[in-house]
Amino acid sequence: MPATIASGASTTYGDHAESSSRELFGEVALEALDSAGLTPTDLDAVYVGNFMGDLIEDQGHMGPLLADAIGAPETASVRFESACASGGATFRQAVLAIESGAADAVLAGGVELMSLADIEHVTDALANAADEMYENEQGLTFPGIYALMARRYMHEFDVSREDLAAVSVKNHANAVANPLAQFQRELTVEEVVESKPIATPLALYDACPVSDGASAVVVVSEAFAAARDLDPVASVLGTGQSSDALALHDRGSISRTPAAARAAQEAYREAGVTVNDVDVAEVHDCFTIAEVMALEALGAYDPGAGARGAVDGETAVDGSFPVNPSGGLLGKGHPVGATGIGQLVELTKQLRGVHPNQVTDAAVALAHNVGGSGASATVTILGGV
Amino acid sequence: MTVPAWYDTFTDAIAAGEPQCLACAACGDASLPPRQVCPACGSTELTAEPLSGRGTILSFTEISVTTPKFHGETPYTVVMSELDEGVVLSGQLREATAADVAIGEPVVLDTETRADGPALITFRPADAEATDTGDRDDA
Repeated sequence: MPATIASGASTTYGDHAESSSRELFGEVALEALDSAGLTPTDLDAVYVGNFMGDLIEDQGHMGPLLADAIGAPETASVRFESACASGGATFRQAVLAIESGAADAVLAGGVELMSLADIEHVTDALANAADEMYENEQGLTFPGIYALMARRYMHEFDVSREDLAAVSVKNHANAVANPLAQFQRELTVEEVVESKPIATPLALYDACPVSDGASAVVVVSEAFAAARDLDPVASVLGTGQSSDALALHDRGSISRTPAAARAAQEAYREAGVTVNDVDVAEVHDCFTIAEVMALEALGAYDPGAGARGAVDGETAVDGSFPVNPSGGLLGKGHPVGATGIGQLVELTKQLRGVHPNQVTDAAVALAHNVGGSGASATVTILGGV
Repeated sequence: MTVPAWYDTFTDAIAAGEPQCLACAACGDASLPPRQVCPACGSTELTAEPLSGRGTILSFTEISVTTPKFHGETPYTVVMSELDEGVVLSGQLREATAADVAIGEPVVLDTETRADGPALITFRPADAEATDTGDRDDA
C-alpha cells in the first residue's frame, strides 16, 4: 500500500526553553492533523522521535506522554531512538506500517529540548550516541569525533578548512530567508575559519547550534487519502536505512559514511530513481564535513570531491544539485529528534512550490539523516502529488 | 559510573605492559574486546593475543569544549591510532600537544589512572623517527 504525506508542520528551531516536549510536540501534531483535515482519533499509531529526553528533561517513555498530549491516549504509541537519525527512523517506521497494510494513518513526529542544559551537559548528552568506554571515556566529544573524520578527510583529499567553511557560509545564507531557522545572519568564510575552536580542525561555525523544536508529518495510505478526500502534500517514493559499527574506530574508513551510502542505494532502488533525478536534497550537515561526506554517500560526488559542491556553487539553491535550501542543521538548527522530520516538512514545501528558497520545478526530493558519527542512516525520497 | 569488568581487564593489561586484543582464528582479523563475533568474518573463534602497543596516528583533534567529566582539562588532544596488529583505538595524547604531532607519526599505547573513574587510554610519541605511513590499506 503506497504511502503519502497528508500534511506537515514544524515549530521554529531555536530557543524554546520556556516550553516543554509535550507542548512543542502538541503544537506541531495538532497543526498537522488540522491541515490534513483529520482528528487524533483517525490515527492508528503515534510515533515519536526523541534522543535525549531522558537526560535533559528526565523524561523517558515519551510515546504515551505525547499521544496523550495530542488527544490520542489510547492510540498505539512508540518512541524511536537512533540518536540524531531518530526523526528519519521514526518516519521510516511509519511508512513501513502503512506499506505493510497494518496502519492507514500514522503521526510521525519528533521533538527535542536541548537548551535547558548548559553546554557541557548537552555535550555529554550528545555523546551518548557514541561508544561510552572507547570514545566518551577517552575524552572524545561528538564534535571531537567529527573532527577526527574531518582531519583525516583533509589529509586524504587535500581539502582546506576554507573549503569546508563554504558549506557553513552557504547554509547560513539559506537560513536567512527561512522563518523557521535559528540563525538569521550570513557568515563569511573568514568568520567560520576564525570562530572559536571546539575540536580542531572544526570551529564553532563548522558546527550546528544547540536547538529546541518539534516537527510532525501525517503519513497515510493512498487508499485512506482517497477515501477521506485528503489533499496530500507529497508521495513517498522510497526509503532506505542502514547501520554501521557504533565506534568510529571500528569502521573500515573514517573519512566516509558507508551506512548512508547503503541507505541511499536502497531508497534509490525502491523509488526507481538515480541521484541524477533528485532535484533538491536536505542532508545531515551537523558539521561542515558531514555535508561533504553526505554528498559523496549519496553518489552526487566522488570521494574527495564533495567539498566542490559548496565551493563552486553547485549546491546553492540555484545550483545544479541544491542542498539544504532550508539552511540545514548548520543554519536552521538541530533539535535532534525533530531534525529528520523537519527535513521532510521542508521538502514538502519544495514539492508544492511554496518554499522560501524555492528550487525551480522541484519534483523529486531527498532527505538524508544520520545518527552518531554514521552508525545510523536513513534516506527518504519524496515526489510531488 | 559503573565500569564494566572487561574494560578494567583491558586497561590493566596495558598498564602491566602486556596489552591484548582479540584475534580471529578463522580470518586473522584483530579487534578490540569484548566481542563474541569477529567483525570481519562472523566467526566466533576469537582468542586473546598480545598487542605490540605500537602504532601510527590516523587522525587527531585538540578538544576545547568538553563534557563535565573533563571539565577544566581543556584543551587536550585525542589521537586515533592504528596499532601494528591492525586494531584502531583512540586515547589522549601525552608528552606532546596537537602542534607536535601529525598523521602517520608513530605512537606508543599506555594508560593512566584517574581518581574519578576508569583508566584513561593514552598515546605518546614514539622515540623512533616519524614516517608517513598513515594511509590505511582498507580506507
